[in-house]
Amino acid sequence: MTSGVTIPALVAGRLLVSLLPLPDALQHDHQLSSPLTSYSRLQEGIYLFKNGIDPYSGGVFRHSPLFLSLFSTLLPTSRVTSSILWTLCDAVGALALIRIWRARQRVSSSSRDGLIGAVYLLNPYLFLPTLALSTSTFENTLTLLSIMFASEGQISASLLTLAFLIQLSLPSLLLVVPLFMLLVGDPVSRLASPAPISSDLRKTIPMLFEFMVYSIVLVLASTLVSGSWAWIPNTWGLGLTLPDLTPNPGLWWYFFTEMFDHFRPFFLVVFSVHLIIYVFPICIKFQHDPLFAAFILLGILATFKPYPTLSDPGLFISMIALFPEIYPYLRHPIVTTLLHLHASLLLPLFHHLWLTQGTGNANFFYAITLVFGVSNGAALIDCIYAGLRIAIGKGDGFEVVQE
Amino acid sequence: MLLLPAFLTYLLCIASWILGAATTGQTQEEHVREFFGKNGANTTSSHTNNWAVLVCASRYWFNYRHMANTLGMYRTVKRLGIPDSNIILMLADDTACNSRNKFPGSVYANAGRRLDLYGDNIEVDYRGYEVTVENFIRVLTGRVEESVPRSKRLLTDDRSNVFVYMTGHGGNEFLKFQDNEEISAFDIADAFEQMWQKKRYNEIFFMIDTCQANTMYSKFYSPNILATGSSEIEENSYSHENDNDIGVAVIDAFTHYVLEFMEGINKTSQTSMRDLFNSYDFNKINSHAGVRSDSFPRPLDRTLITDFFGGVAQVEVLPPNTDWYGAPSKELPTLISTRSETENHRLNKIPQPETRSGVSPVRWRGSGSMRAWGSLCLVGLLIGWVAVAKK
Repeated sequence: MTSGVTIPALVAGRLLVSLLPLPDALQHDHQLSSPLTSYSRLQEGIYLFKNGIDPYSGGVFRHSPLFLSLFSTLLPTSRVTSSILWTLCDAVGALALIRIWRARQRVSSSSRDGLIGAVYLLNPYLFLPTLALSTSTFENTLTLLSIMFASEGQISASLLTLAFLIQLSLPSLLLVVPLFMLLVGDPVSRLASPAPISSDLRKTIPMLFEFMVYSIVLVLASTLVSGSWAWIPNTWGLGLTLPDLTPNPGLWWYFFTEMFDHFRPFFLVVFSVHLIIYVFPICIKFQHDPLFAAFILLGILATFKPYPTLSDPGLFISMIALFPEIYPYLRHPIVTTLLHLHASLLLPLFHHLWLTQGTGNANFFYAITLVFGVSNGAALIDCIYAGLRIAIGKGDGFEVVQE
Repeated sequence: MLLLPAFLTYLLCIASWILGAATTGQTQEEHVREFFGKNGANTTSSHTNNWAVLVCASRYWFNYRHMANTLGMYRTVKRLGIPDSNIILMLADDTACNSRNKFPGSVYANAGRRLDLYGDNIEVDYRGYEVTVENFIRVLTGRVEESVPRSKRLLTDDRSNVFVYMTGHGGNEFLKFQDNEEISAFDIADAFEQMWQKKRYNEIFFMIDTCQANTMYSKFYSPNILATGSSEIEENSYSHENDNDIGVAVIDAFTHYVLEFMEGINKTSQTSMRDLFNSYDFNKINSHAGVRSDSFPRPLDRTLITDFFGGVAQVEVLPPNTDWYGAPSKELPTLISTRSETENHRLNKIPQPETRSGVSPVRWRGSGSMRAWGSLCLVGLLIGWVAVAKK
């Protein structure tokens, strides 16, 4: 499967589909876009900005101010150009994934390139949010670009894209630690032979400073666009205070709709800390393979983020293509796949039943959200198990063959 | 930093309050009269909210017309503006779903079954066996148990006009409750006196449609009560018409003609009680309907129907704010006067200090697009520098 043919063909196919007259309901679907990523809110914010009203004074616009500067100056926001832009963004993400794969395998091209690109471009969890013009596509692409630059050793580019990613989505801060480990190490697969981290961790300190400088410059640029500091509580503060309880495939919103105000700060802290506590155990356990650690943390983000959409688990699932060495050791891939199938088919059904038809209630949708969380969790656990199991090595006379 | 403007606004509040208080006295009465006079030139009313107690004291299928009487009054009173929260409806409520009802779930008040009074939007507060003399008197006097919910209480105050309507089988100074017990005219008179002592009404309009109805209001001794009944002593009140499919009489004559009169009334109507009482016609009702107004202070031709039957709300429309960002306008806002469910406030015109609301609108320093280009240049510089200068 040559990537030279498949990738352009797939991109062209996706372009074609995205330019077809799609129902507008896709843009408002709660699974495909969250308050942080919704295209209609982006348009609203740009309109307000162009008319001289602060878009952050209401509760509508939750995107980063960099979007404001980008879309009000360089890029127009008509549906056609946005579809093309989003599809190209996904194409860049697919290419980044291929280059991560090549860096991991230490080859300049391989036969699996086309397959990996196809896994990213044809994944419905990623395809549908792009059709819905959800800005989570940008987040995914920036994540992959950051990991790609880190795998290829381009430190500054990686830190810059990471800084951009943090501007768009604060929970991605979880990726800072494995990315730094990747920057001082290399992306080559060492899952089969774990060893304490061999590279010098003191090299991360100047990288940290560089990252802070890039972040500060971007924060200043954002403040310049929005004219005040109000964008910080309205974008970054969203995951910490959860003012917007729009339903999404995540686990936070239902919990906090039924929360008494007295306990709200406590549980917000609990949920936020819950995200953070995974960073160091995963990074320490997989210190020999920081790319795998980043992959697992992306999965944890997908499951436990404040405002996830379908594209977050989509990125995680597509990245499984980078680790074929763990496939023989996955214990229940079929169960996980079926759980995912079950959840992904019933999510839109119960959402429709609850909000459109009115014959169901929020518990239907929340139950399937829980199943979705279970399916993500099952995938995560299986991958972690397989990643650790490889290290134990052959036992039954099988040989692990890497392609 | 904020201390100085806060202190100044506080001084302004004190000064304006003193000024307002100093100008009371003569102008206070004028304010009050003007407030109450807003309902129209022809009114002398002094109430601020309306309540209604509608009681049907009969049960069983053959007393269908009493149920229809009460439901007709309920519908009229609701139509003219009294909300369900201000209506106490006491019905045996055994008609609509009676097994003998050929039109289940409906109660009609005319022979052609043109209007369903039961519908799906009525709130019966006391139904079935709860309609007792004890509950009726407890509702009126307010001496209810703690466990009684708000919807079953008569939460009137001294500015409430209360419309009390009773219908059923009655006689000389008594009314039969649910074929079980009776209430006498003395009981009702004492209940009204208790209400007067407890300042639970401004004025009461008492309407009763039974046989020998006028005897029921003969014993009232409290002020501000206007009463009307359907028939004199030794006289029967008659039903108005039967419906052949329902099989029983569907409405009483007195209530029918009162309701017919009410159909011509809407919330803005200036029709007076005198007009209602003048419309009583012995040839139609077949009984001598009576009126007792000796304890009623106001002239009946200056007393509007809507003073008792409706919950008329007055609204003053203020000119819209012209300031774009929503800061309060410079004119002092006048009080919006309403005539439903508000207490009688002191009508000082307290000027509001000019305060900014919580989130002040951001003043754009420079145009938006310039700032967007500026930040874009900054970001572009950063990307370019990383791409070129760094490895």
